[in-house]
Amino acid sequence: MEISDGSCSTASMSCTLGDLSQPDGSASLTHGNTQVAAAVYGPCEVRLSKEFPDRATIEVIHKPKVGLPRCEDKLRETLLRSIFETAALTALHPRSSIQIIIQEIEDQGGLLATSINAACLALLDASISMKFLVAAVTAKVKHDGSVLLLPQEGSTEKDSLGIITFVFREPDKSVVCSFTSVGTLSLQQRNQCLSLCQEACDTVFKFYRECLENKFSKIK
Amino acid sequence: MADAFRCALPKEYYRQFIERDVRPDGRELGEFRPTVLNIGSISTAEGSAIVKLGNTSVICGVKAELAEPKAETPQEGYLVPNVELSALCSSQFRPGPPGEQAQVLSQLMVNIIKNFHSVPLEDLCVVAGKLVWVLYIDLICLDYGGNLIDACVLALTAALKNTALPSISVEEETQKINADITKHNMLQLACTPISASFAIFDNTILLVDPTSEEEALSTGTVTVVTDGEKIFEMDKSGGSQITSEQRQMCFRRAFQRHREGIKLIEDTMSSVDR
Amino acid sequence: MRDTPLSNCEREFLLDIIKERKVSCEVTLPKLRRPTEGILFVNVELSPMASASFEQGRLTEEGVELSRLLERCLKESHCVDLESLCIIAGAKVWSIRVDIHILNHDGNMLDCSSIAAISALAHFRRPDVTVKGEEVTIHTSEERDPIPLSLHHMPLCVSFAFFHQGKYLLVDPGELEERVMDGKMVIGMNKHREICMLQITGQMLLLKEQVLRCSNIAVVKVMEMTELIQEALLNDKSSRAKGLKCGFAESATKRKVNRTWKEAMDVNSVPGCEVPSDSDSESDEDVESKISERGDVNVLGHGVGAIGKSAVSKWFEENTDDMEKELEEERNKSVHTNSSQQEKAMTAVMPADISGDHEGDSEEEAIQILDKDLKLQPM
Repeated sequence: MEISDGSCSTASMSCTLGDLSQPDGSASLTHGNTQVAAAVYGPCEVRLSKEFPDRATIEVIHKPKVGLPRCEDKLRETLLRSIFETAALTALHPRSSIQIIIQEIEDQGGLLATSINAACLALLDASISMKFLVAAVTAKVKHDGSVLLLPQEGSTEKDSLGIITFVFREPDKSVVCSFTSVGTLSLQQRNQCLSLCQEACDTVFKFYRECLENKFSKIK
Repeated sequence: MADAFRCALPKEYYRQFIERDVRPDGRELGEFRPTVLNIGSISTAEGSAIVKLGNTSVICGVKAELAEPKAETPQEGYLVPNVELSALCSSQFRPGPPGEQAQVLSQLMVNIIKNFHSVPLEDLCVVAGKLVWVLYIDLICLDYGGNLIDACVLALTAALKNTALPSISVEEETQKINADITKHNMLQLACTPISASFAIFDNTILLVDPTSEEEALSTGTVTVVTDGEKIFEMDKSGGSQITSEQRQMCFRRAFQRHREGIKLIEDTMSSVDR
Repeated sequence: MRDTPLSNCEREFLLDIIKERKVSCEVTLPKLRRPTEGILFVNVELSPMASASFEQGRLTEEGVELSRLLERCLKESHCVDLESLCIIAGAKVWSIRVDIHILNHDGNMLDCSSIAAISALAHFRRPDVTVKGEEVTIHTSEERDPIPLSLHHMPLCVSFAFFHQGKYLLVDPGELEERVMDGKMVIGMNKHREICMLQITGQMLLLKEQVLRCSNIAVVKVMEMTELIQEALLNDKSSRAKGLKCGFAESATKRKVNRTWKEAMDVNSVPGCEVPSDSDSESDEDVESKISERGDVNVLGHGVGAIGKSAVSKWFEENTDDMEKELEEERNKSVHTNSSQQEKAMTAVMPADISGDHEGDSEEEAIQILDKDLKLQPM
């Protein structure tokens, strides 16, 4: 919330793993005031038209809070699919499907990043083998040039010059995906956001570990 | 023989070429395909453009209609972009409702217009709260040869730049609307975004302006839309190991492409005036 | 009767009945419009999240039954005072949309969705509106406090599963129980003991006593549920009045064992940790010069421009260079083979017809076609 030079804060995160009984893995992630539920089914049967002989098909469904799915959700689906097609070890499960379903519950900024992180946690909960973990962080550049991380309380789209989401992977923190969701940025601002997000993604990776530790410590 | 090789081991076929810094179609790795732009080809539309990027061809028409504004934005007109991938452009598409790729492209066009604020929506207002212009932007793909995003963005920008709206006057007493078809006002764009797309081959090599074959073989794609300093990026590199230098290279190439694209649009437009 | 969409208002409310049944529903309410009475729209989404057997975008028989029963329970019981949703008769009304997303299917989706729907309706607040003549102003929540819907009563559904021709009866069947049951009875009832919906399905016949017994059980259950909802609403109201945080982010139960929580954390950004240098100006210039070499715009005709030369383009090359060459050759040939008489005749026609440039053009085309035809004949 407070922006002293060069430092910024990430909002609080909370997550429940295995909330839902039907899916193989599920997570509901709250980041700031943004909340997303994610569920994973798989590896399971795949429709013939979508089958690959050498790897599993990743299917992503993004459901909006209100009404029927729109084009926006389709765009998010393709971004998520491009990430998890490489992150998951799909070659282990040829001719099968891994379904990731995302339900938006509340969007107060940084929905894309929260969906990606929730999906990653749900995949972990479903014990899908992955090449690497991914963490998404969203940064916003205000009109005055200051950079902050989303979601942030009381932040609106209106006062932003641009909002960009970066997705990093472990352990080298290289960029797996990036998307400018609102406005545009200059090259310098983009790189500023990148370095800030790169720092912030550590907290997300740490949070993943805590979630799993918490989960397995309760299982006897 | 070469065709059989290409068919059986497409990746290996490409590797052989790329090792020698050339692509099977004779291009360098950082080279765009020849781009042909035709402006104002549809006389019934308010603005139009045809773009040929190699074999990829996209036709864009802008149709203007008067409508009531949305309740939330009484002083702004609105745009409705729509990308159509009909069954005629490639065998991978089927007739019927728009598929996922068409929906994603439509949404991308919406995002690009919105993020760059390229069309000043206040200019589309005729009578505040009562009457505004709605621009229906239809992009139809005629031939699918890869890199649809770049072709669509170029067609979109060129068509919008070429759009002329009939001047409208409203009689105050009778509220009657008179359209003067002889007088046209050119739509003034605040921004002219041009995009450059890259396919990542074998996780490390960047190919500018990929063909459909290259897209199918790629391990990720990067799209950068620029206008001046401003950048809109959609990076789907996935697990590909592209370095940050390579990424900066993408931005530089995108800036150059922007200059090329703008020059193309401007020169073509001035050829119409002549 | 045309009506325009009104402003967007939405409020959501999560009813957490996970504790016993592991089902949770989310309900969201936005706007729309309709004539004299306001409209209530109930949409049930069987999300693929809830069960592997549900498919995206396809409503199964189960889904149709569920949404129909809910509509009967909510709409046809007239629990919402639709007339109070009218702003201008015949012109502007509120439309309330209830979206129900099933997140997890562990049986008895109907009871769960009905509880969620009715509590969401009770919790929902629409923005205040003032009407001045024709002008309608919608106030934001900051300007004026939003108004709750007026609910006449709160109908709730209670489901019963029957086994062995009604010998055994289960309240609130689970998913496995639903699969093996003989039949099902659903009673929609409010706390005033008024039945607003009753449905019996399945291969069984029931005795009068059984129906009465069920309705007696339903009375108890409905009482319990109504109390639970009221309590939750009160809870929410008091915490809002105190200015505490509310909404979904807060409703995630903090007591759960499988929940991990992390405080807001400061991030120190070290400037320039991976910001690549822009010192590659050399290569930049290199590429630049290359671009300018081939980047020149080639104006091909009226409103047609092109950049770039290499690589194949069927459209571009064949149509311009090759085709023209072919045509030229053909024309030359035909000129040779045809008698000079004809040529003279053509040239004679041409100047006579040049009244406008366009006509001249079309004439020339016609001649070309003519030539081709002529050429074909001797061959």
